[in-house]
Amino acid sequence: MYGGDEVSAIVLDLGSYTCKAGYAGEDSPKAVFPSVVGSIDQVGVVDEVKPEKDSEITYDSKNADKTKTRKLYVGSQALGYRRDQMEVISPFKDGVVDWDIVDNIWNHAFRECLLIDPKEHPMLLAEPSSNTPQQREKAAELMFESYKVPALFVAKNAVLTSFSSGRATSLVVDSGGGSTTVAAVHDGFVLQKAVLTSPVGGELLTDCMMKSLESKGTTLRPRYSFKKKEIRQGEFQIINLDFPNTTESYKLYSQRAIASDIKESVCRVPDTAFEETAYANVPMTSYELPDGQTIEVGADRFKIPDILFNPSLVLTIPGMESFTSSTSVSGLSQMVIESINRCDVDIRRELFSSILLAGGTASMLQLKERLEKDLMEEAPQAARVKVLASGNSTERRFSVWIGGSILASLGSFQQMWFSKAEYEEHGVSYIQRRCP
Amino acid sequence: MEAVVVDAGSKLLKIGFASPDQDPALVSILTILFIMQTKMKRVLEDGDGGGDVLMVEEVTADPVVRGFIRDWDAMEDLLRHVLYIDLGWEVGDEGQILFAEPLFTPKAIREQLVQLMFETFNVSGFYASEQVVLSLYAVGRISGCTVDIGHGKIDIAPVCEGAVQHIASKRFQIGGIDLTNLLAQKLKKSNPLVKIDISEVEKLKEQYACCAEDQTSFEETENKCPTETHTLPDGQTITIGRGGYIVGEALFEPSILGIEEYGIVEQLVRSISSVSSENLRQLLENTMLCGGTASMTARSSFPPACLINLPDTLGFEERFQKEANLCSSSIRPSLIKPPEYMPENLSKNSAWMGGAILAKVVFPQNQHVTRGDYDETGPTIVHKKCF
Repeated sequence: MYGGDEVSAIVLDLGSYTCKAGYAGEDSPKAVFPSVVGSIDQVGVVDEVKPEKDSEITYDSKNADKTKTRKLYVGSQALGYRRDQMEVISPFKDGVVDWDIVDNIWNHAFRECLLIDPKEHPMLLAEPSSNTPQQREKAAELMFESYKVPALFVAKNAVLTSFSSGRATSLVVDSGGGSTTVAAVHDGFVLQKAVLTSPVGGELLTDCMMKSLESKGTTLRPRYSFKKKEIRQGEFQIINLDFPNTTESYKLYSQRAIASDIKESVCRVPDTAFEETAYANVPMTSYELPDGQTIEVGADRFKIPDILFNPSLVLTIPGMESFTSSTSVSGLSQMVIESINRCDVDIRRELFSSILLAGGTASMLQLKERLEKDLMEEAPQAARVKVLASGNSTERRFSVWIGGSILASLGSFQQMWFSKAEYEEHGVSYIQRRCP
Repeated sequence: MEAVVVDAGSKLLKIGFASPDQDPALVSILTILFIMQTKMKRVLEDGDGGGDVLMVEEVTADPVVRGFIRDWDAMEDLLRHVLYIDLGWEVGDEGQILFAEPLFTPKAIREQLVQLMFETFNVSGFYASEQVVLSLYAVGRISGCTVDIGHGKIDIAPVCEGAVQHIASKRFQIGGIDLTNLLAQKLKKSNPLVKIDISEVEKLKEQYACCAEDQTSFEETENKCPTETHTLPDGQTITIGRGGYIVGEALFEPSILGIEEYGIVEQLVRSISSVSSENLRQLLENTMLCGGTASMTARSSFPPACLINLPDTLGFEERFQKEANLCSSSIRPSLIKPPEYMPENLSKNSAWMGGAILAKVVFPQNQHVTRGDYDETGPTIVHKKCF
């Protein structure tokens, strides 16, 4: 049992889009940076080949692949700088986690962003609601072995969001960068049977925005690819800089950054389901791109956010026809109804009246009102539907982190830590018992 | 008695009483005395017994490295000297003290500082605040964006209503000291036979550093640039060619320093863009440059540049504004002018002055950490009361 509470705990939430880290007890994370890393593959030079020993040569050529090392660049500052041959890779690929990248991300958060020594702080890790036991154990092993943390606790995202709003029972709709998860929390425990995920998330919406703009003829120039020069007083000229060694993935990453800013500034969830004809004459909003071009966004302002409720709209965007999934993807309202229906009849009423919105994508304007309206239509008559979302957009974005911060600073939580001594005594699988 | 305001930088320690009409001259006298590379004489314990044989060891200690306090003993000695001897505190009647800290100070360092203050110095009240916020107070704003270019670090932070937006802030481990090293390298290359002390290079940097008008004219200085000769105090003469321009350009083009980053204006724009858009306008219009390195002025020592067909020089602030104008209008930062009633060398000591202003508000209203609070809760009280 870890009893020390003089030194603050650290709360770490590695999401699909951003990683949030900070001290427990604070109201927002100190370090927020993208959870993708830049990597440059450097092929190591094999100079141990001695021509006399023929047998060595074959051995070395087998090893030649192993001398390939890769240098990782983590964090928004390192990623923001364009380097030759730098690829942008994500630690989560098709459900498989690349632990080396996760290790680098954690290391960056501790040593470069928070400037702490992980040995001295207990860690609270936030994990996805549908995390497998193996991944949990691997995370715990990594924490205890390489970072030598004194104590650890792993909590599910949905539970932490629930705590951040002060409720023990709620239905959490977490709409983040990579995916949207709907999970029911009852008395502080996630009901596994009622957890639903959908691949529709902020990044998909950004991609749709990008493809939609491209089909209308606008090219998004990444920030590094141009320079402005003042030729005369007040007149500027754009000079294109050519960097032939920039990888496609980096170019895409920079363009996505611009498209995501457009999405965040102009998009609004429509009050009713989107129809092409109804929104054909909607007034356009203008947006100035970093290179000075001004673009007009019209129907897309409403179409893109409606993808959350109606994923089949994606197929109507030129360039996104490749979006198909093995299981049919349902909209947000259907996911909520289905999740509630999978729970026991007794708690359904309570779940309907406390639906929480969390995640970056949930800070889109009018999302709460639209969800409430849709649910009231589809829910059983007797149920009272109430969607709760904190007014402040940063709170919505970091609600998982904030919940962790609240949890780790509670006096009654201090006895629940999974300490290093227990790890050494019982082994890593003990974590399943300690962290429900 | 007035509260004492301390701004411990990597090069200069700014310290003084927070009086209503604080004369900046008082501050600068103290700063000259306490250049942080303090030469301390360590007398061995039994040196006195041996009569005239006093073993004196001159040791230079750097208490503050890259903005953070690293050598606590040296810091303690330094503060002891300043507080008791120069400022006239008496043992048993210590006053209140306000510290200015850099961004991203780890909690452990803060706690250690509070502990040092209350236990070793027995102060009656303590408060800590971030330098970026204090610099804004010095120019009469509570929201804005500060670019603090110091000796050991650069902090870029958007501040909304006195609260630093940590998520959007940036900190760089480059500063005046790296520019000095750069100049030393260049001088060594152009004057291979002359040996120059690093403190001399500091003075040369302050005298000769300037900014070219823009990147193209910087590149032109490669071909045509003035070669000036400078006489060092020990009589040797050196030529300073392009060195001054290079130092000025280094912050706009960090590849000169060998660092893979974008220039300072680009970093500021990126930092502001990551703040939510409601406050964007306000932040852009209230951008402030402060710190010693930012006070680089245009060179006026030689005949006007146009007469001898040389590129014009600009001060750091003018060049910064020029680069900022190249950004698209929705994201264009504009530098603010300090109010007329503030003293001239505001940008060098803005964090100290902001601290003096804050001290007048915090201590009378009892918002600081008192002796009683510390005795009751311990060092962690600093995180709850000072933010």
